[in-house]
Amino acid sequence: MATTATLTIASSDIAGDPVSVSKTSTLSKAGSLNDLDQSTGLSRVHLRSATNKVLLAANAEGNNLAAKVYIINKSTDASLYLTVTINAQTIGKLYGGDFMFIPWSQTDTAASIEVAATNWTASTGDIPVEYALFHEDTDFLTNA
Amino acid sequence: MATTIAQLTLTSSDLLSDNLAISSAATLTSAGNSTGLTHTEGLGRKTLASGHAQYVLFDGSDRTADKAHKIYLKNLSTTAAEYFLITLNGEDMGRLYAGDWAFFPWSSHDADNDIKIDPSADDMTLEYMLFTDD
Repeated sequence: MATTATLTIASSDIAGDPVSVSKTSTLSKAGSLNDLDQSTGLSRVHLRSATNKVLLAANAEGNNLAAKVYIINKSTDASLYLTVTINAQTIGKLYGGDFMFIPWSQTDTAASIEVAATNWTASTGDIPVEYALFHEDTDFLTNA
Repeated sequence: MATTIAQLTLTSSDLLSDNLAISSAATLTSAGNSTGLTHTEGLGRKTLASGHAQYVLFDGSDRTADKAHKIYLKNLSTTAAEYFLITLNGEDMGRLYAGDWAFFPWSSHDADNDIKIDPSADDMTLEYMLFTDD
């Protein structure tokens, strides 16, 4: 059940010589070569809240098992951003079109991944967000 | 203005009953506009010998808050059990096992918002890169 994640980063002009990074990893269970075999699938929500909303609720049974999170801000407005947090610690802001792909430890049940459309107002329109979780914890059946 | 493009592809032919194919491309831009990021620290490597728990890879006090910093990390170990624990201001983000990579935005919203790495074994090497508008 191999799932592969490939990242390429390329620029011809951000430095004096071209930047070209290309990496592929096979998503595996913690500390082994066994493939991750659980996924939420690709989900989509439309954020219309400037306060934090739980995107993925941490599950204690997932503590330090392997889990990978993909989130993308599908807005085409460069100024509209999501603030992504884990247990109230801000990771960063995903501006329109930006994505992230991170490991997620679910250290405790407070370690949920939350998002907020921080500069959203009724006039800016919704921020479409797509996300997917790949994991090994079979107790992870729901998200918020 | 520079143009830097990050592209992610997630594929699987057998995780689900249908093929999985997710592909996203993002042009890395400054906070809130379409101007390309103009700075990078270049591709670096850090090997940590023993006694380097909670090594500060990126110091929050070195960067301006709430810019559009982007971070790339990869664990270069080939031993499946070896991982780097990635923490953000003391909060665990996750374990980056051998061969895994991560790519994420970094707010660097205050001096405490360091990105730290904690290797599970001695002499592990992490590859990293920062793109920024700072």
